[in-house]
Amino acid sequence: MVPTELLRFEEVGIHLGGREILSPTQFSVTRGEFVCIIGPSGCGKTTLLRAAAGFVQPSTGQVRCNGQVVTGPTRKAAFVFQDYGRALLPWRTVSGNISLALEAAGVPTEQRAARIAKVLDTVGLGVHATKFPAQLSGGMQQRVQIARCLAQEPELMLMDEPFGALDAMTRESLQDEVSRLVQETGLTVLFVTHDLEEAIYLSDRVIALRANPSAGKPSLAAMIEVGIARPRDQLLTKEDPEFLRLRRELYGFLGHH
Amino acid sequence: MGSWGIIEMGAPLVPRSTQIFLFLRPWVLPVLLLTLLEWAARTLAPDSDAVAPPSRAFLAFGQALMVSSEEGVLRASLFTLGSAAAGLLIGLVLGVGLGTVLGLSKRAASMGFLTIEVLRPIPSVALIPLSMMVFGFGFRMEISVVAFATFWPMLILTQAAARQVEPGLIEVALALELSPWARMTKVVLPAMLARLLVALRLGVAIALVVAVTVEVAANPYGMGYALMIAQQSLAPDLMLAWLVWIGVVGYGINVLMLRLQHALSRRMGEIPQAQRA
Repeated sequence: MVPTELLRFEEVGIHLGGREILSPTQFSVTRGEFVCIIGPSGCGKTTLLRAAAGFVQPSTGQVRCNGQVVTGPTRKAAFVFQDYGRALLPWRTVSGNISLALEAAGVPTEQRAARIAKVLDTVGLGVHATKFPAQLSGGMQQRVQIARCLAQEPELMLMDEPFGALDAMTRESLQDEVSRLVQETGLTVLFVTHDLEEAIYLSDRVIALRANPSAGKPSLAAMIEVGIARPRDQLLTKEDPEFLRLRRELYGFLGHH
Repeated sequence: MGSWGIIEMGAPLVPRSTQIFLFLRPWVLPVLLLTLLEWAARTLAPDSDAVAPPSRAFLAFGQALMVSSEEGVLRASLFTLGSAAAGLLIGLVLGVGLGTVLGLSKRAASMGFLTIEVLRPIPSVALIPLSMMVFGFGFRMEISVVAFATFWPMLILTQAAARQVEPGLIEVALALELSPWARMTKVVLPAMLARLLVALRLGVAIALVVAVTVEVAANPYGMGYALMIAQQSLAPDLMLAWLVWIGVVGYGINVLMLRLQHALSRRMGEIPQAQRA
């Protein structure tokens, strides 16, 4: 299969409140690719992701998805918010929350139950279908949000530090789960994180951003291919010399100068 | 086994006598007060035009129950409750509708701000002369004053409720490309519901107070007017009966509203603390 381009940032610069958040940045994401964006806090990585989703309009340049200029949010791009507690409807059960995506897509009522069961099965939440979000742990709530995003059958998954608020064990198991899902479905992912190891472990390519862009120093600091074979393993991959080399190479971009 | 048996069997931990005492406790104070009033009215002011012993009030109430005219308990109560409910409905629909718009749109809020802040402090009772001119005595005049009185708190509380809708949820709705209508009905309004119910309970209380006030001040119908008639015909027993009855009606309505609120919160996924993860 010839890799085709899904997402393209064309000299996208973003100013918010009179401050330059992102200096003109250019890159593209191939269909099926897993790209992580890392950078110190305040470097504009979340803003970049929100621009990809259409929540933020670039001040200069444009974002293209499938060749079309992104002017607002679309169902083709699913957004996984960091704060799962604020992204789920507390008055709807797990099924009900998934159903929202199907209702939005105009899926007929009689087809919804089967599709809800299918995505819940994919994320291992089948037995919790009738529970409310407040009855679930953080990791499970984030799974519900991922399941809702899968239910909208997106081409592109935009994930904003989705595991940032979870404990280390849960984070690792969700990393593996998302890796598996992406491999199975062929989804394209743009994933924001400030966790260097998470970025290398998950991605095919890491884009590093730098804080406080200025004329001399653009936002885009580095773009590094991660050639480590898949499936990856929490222990073995993280001991791989290539993993360690990439980790050393990227270390400086997180403000550890 | 020993003393552990009680817990294992899930038997009530409080003895039956204590349960009965706990059930009776709220009634002790009212009974004491009624006894005191009975005694005071009989011994200190036997021929008073202002106070009557509760026992006579009770009898007077029994007679008023039988009256089928405007001043009878049934028709007067229905008039007051009906106009309070109708006025509240108008105030609620307009207040929630407009309040949602003002809460969601900063532009609308800044456009409406001055008008609202000038009109809102007008005491609803001050509107009675105007509404009497427009509608004359009766149902419509009372409804209009109740609607005016309940509109403002509904408006302000709805506006606050709309402002406090989690922005993340609105972004979810946008990301899913929900239509504006679906966004309102599936996300914004349910997110506001808990606060709207609190507003509704407040509105019910205001509606009842204002309805009775309008009747006491001007409108010759309902419980408030019956109270006035009792006063003017020097019947302190009937007056006391009406006073207590209005309190009982208000209490009953509040209990119903609380039940409604709890039933709805349960349906909206509010989880009792014990079952949370």
